[in-house]
Amino acid sequence: METVIAMNVVSKVFKGKKAVDNISFKIYKGSITAILGPNGAGKTTAILMMLGLLEPTEGSVTIFGQHPKDKSVREKTGSMLQEVSVMDRLKVKEIISLISSYYQYPMDQKLLVEATGLDPADLNRYAEKLSGGQKRSLGFALALAGDPELLFFDEPTVGLDITARRRFWEKVRGLAEQGKTILFTTHYLPEAEDIADRILLFNRGSLAADGSPDEIKARIVKRSLSFLQPADGLDLQQKLLTLPSIDGCYYKDGRIFVTTEDTDEALRDIFTAGLPVKDVRIDQGRLDEAFEQLTMNQEGAV
Amino acid sequence: MRSLTMQCKAEMLRIVRNPYYVFWSLLMPIMFYFIFTRVVNTGDSDPTWAAHYLMSMAAFSVMGSAIMTLGIRLVQERTQGWTTFIRITPLPGYVYFLGKMFGQTMMHLFSIICIFAAGYLINGVSLSTAQWLLCGLWLLVGSLPFLAMGTLVGSMKRVDTASGVSNAVYMALAITGGMWMPLEILPRLMQKIGVWLPSYNYGNGAWQIVQGSHPEWSNILILLGYLAVFMILSVYIRKQQEAV
Repeated sequence: METVIAMNVVSKVFKGKKAVDNISFKIYKGSITAILGPNGAGKTTAILMMLGLLEPTEGSVTIFGQHPKDKSVREKTGSMLQEVSVMDRLKVKEIISLISSYYQYPMDQKLLVEATGLDPADLNRYAEKLSGGQKRSLGFALALAGDPELLFFDEPTVGLDITARRRFWEKVRGLAEQGKTILFTTHYLPEAEDIADRILLFNRGSLAADGSPDEIKARIVKRSLSFLQPADGLDLQQKLLTLPSIDGCYYKDGRIFVTTEDTDEALRDIFTAGLPVKDVRIDQGRLDEAFEQLTMNQEGAV
Repeated sequence: MRSLTMQCKAEMLRIVRNPYYVFWSLLMPIMFYFIFTRVVNTGDSDPTWAAHYLMSMAAFSVMGSAIMTLGIRLVQERTQGWTTFIRITPLPGYVYFLGKMFGQTMMHLFSIICIFAAGYLINGVSLSTAQWLLCGLWLLVGSLPFLAMGTLVGSMKRVDTASGVSNAVYMALAITGGMWMPLEILPRLMQKIGVWLPSYNYGNGAWQIVQGSHPEWSNILILLGYLAVFMILSVYIRKQQEAV
């Protein structure tokens, strides 16, 4: 697999506060990766370092094997950042051809115009007169101006309605099918889960987890087992708690629940111990709950 | 090369489409010119004064757009994230800068032509072709220190600060440099300070030309000095800001 981005033990300190703390990962060609984390987790700082807009305090970042500021990197990269407005007093069409002229091998202008999804009438309007969502669509098209191999989207769907959101992700999937490498940040979990084939979970500046959505799920989601409450329920609960694979045990709605990291091992232990369990059910925790919990833990810790 | 021509074209379009430019850089100096040469009786309604004040107003206009339009625009582009966006494209920084300077110069040229034409139409100011051309050229080239000052204003954090500060500096320079009224009628202390200011030396070059003379060496040297100081400061501040 071809490495596109390499973050090598990267830290970034702002006024004594570590915004990004010892992060290492590699991003491979053709992947869609989500950087997921609550606000202030260091997602944008990481992206800005990958774009060469911030220099890491420690460690190194390379894109296509080069420094992010290298011109060859700029030619192959497109980005949609937060808080970027559009140049005023220029019409949409003019901005598109202006930005295209910056690149050696620009994308066909017709395709770019299509990518904006704007009506022909809007193309002749001043860009600053467009609505917020339309500006975002223009920003998306501008990210594609250089027909990039690598795309960065920093919180791309904030402020978009559901339809616009869906349309945006459809386009991103289309780009990924063309073999483009995509990296986006989000604090909106279902987005990361649905779109990305890999999630980098950021938490207080460090990389809390790294893997496919399923792997992440398995890591952070607690699963639980439940059984019918027998006559001597308390005795059973005490016996369950002695098993090493079981973290906790509680009673709810006529059933006994146990929480565990690994349901398979817990079941094995329960059967080996010969405990009298009946009507076994495995409950899958929800990723968004686990994520919320993680976020709350963080807030609690601050 | 293509990116440079496109950048220049875009900058020009943006300036021409800006209504504030038309008001501040064209209408206001021309109105002043009309008032101070036709309405207010200044006592000496001789053609020398008409030509002298025409140069004052042309210099006033160009100085204003160099400091204010450029400065405020730079701050706007940065606060709106546009500068950041440009930095992550392959466009070299110098092309962006040259585009800006080209747009400004075209705008200055247009202002000069309009104001000169107004002088001719309002007061029938008559100068030799060489004098018109030399004055125009002096005003264009002499605007460099003010453009450098504009980039200094452009390093400010907020648009409000930039517009307030640049407005105050602009007006102060115009008055103390003898652009609104001749330096000779100002108090002595102000005259003494005035001759060291970039605005006076800028205006004086053109005032000398309309009197059939040429800009003094001191004018050129002082303007070059200011250019160097403002450029060094501007580059230094930029470096500081980028070292994050």
